[in-house]
Amino acid sequence: MPEAERTVEDRLREEYFTLLPEIRRVADRLEAEIRYHVLPISGALERHERLAVKCRVKSCESALEKLRARQEGRAFQGDRPEIYTLTSLNDLAGVRVLAFPRGRLAEIDGRLLEVFPSWTSDPVKDDGEVQALKYYGYCRQASDKVKGEYQIVSMLTGLFWEVEHSAIYKPDARLGQIALNLGMRQRTRDVARAFSAFEEQFEALARQD
Amino acid sequence: MTTLDTKQHILDEAGFVYSINRAVYFNRKSKKIISVEFAMDHDEEILERVTREDTGGKEWKFYFNSGEPPEGVRREIEAELA
Repeated sequence: MPEAERTVEDRLREEYFTLLPEIRRVADRLEAEIRYHVLPISGALERHERLAVKCRVKSCESALEKLRARQEGRAFQGDRPEIYTLTSLNDLAGVRVLAFPRGRLAEIDGRLLEVFPSWTSDPVKDDGEVQALKYYGYCRQASDKVKGEYQIVSMLTGLFWEVEHSAIYKPDARLGQIALNLGMRQRTRDVARAFSAFEEQFEALARQD
Repeated sequence: MTTLDTKQHILDEAGFVYSINRAVYFNRKSKKIISVEFAMDHDEEILERVTREDTGGKEWKFYFNSGEPPEGVRREIEAELA
């Protein structure tokens, strides 16, 4: 197909499948390193505590939607395809560390900061409140083009995001924009605050035990 | 009422509808398009002023943080929301 007829999306899909082997390498490497380095913590958990490490490779359509979502109005400039590249995304390869209750988050964060000291901190915030700790950077042994990202998040919040993702994004990546509606944002904020209060109460009681 | 709910209420009251595809609030009658980014980053007073502003209603008026969108983007969004 002549270059002029290819849409921005066509070009990005091609880029995605060119990058995919590297994305997988970054995901594998990042997951292995994080699992290894949090082992001392997971091995010392109290009976009421949980720690899980989950890894995912962002799908092609999710990657396109994420890039599209950076544009106000969610439209690519068709006459300037060269300004878009999937390598600008930080989370093509991502690992999420979930902990319950949230008392362990700081310990995990400290441990992983020693392993990834040069990575950029980019916490997930809502209304000034930190929802998750997030870092991105390069795993040079795996790729110098594809960045990896890891998040450290309370288990309840992380599982809620998974449910939200399955229900909203999975059927159609574009439905994800529903979550940006102001009313929906408020409902999501309400859920996050309820989880936070639940965990604080639980942790306080568990400590008394 | 929280800030987000207040903003949503302002937009609802002014007849704006949310476009899932574009993540914008739009009003076909007044021909205004407000991005979620603009709605998030501006306070209720400005949002209220924008919804009431008289723009003539002949051409679509975009309220984006990044300013007026490029012509191609503008056409694409207008075609979808018209």
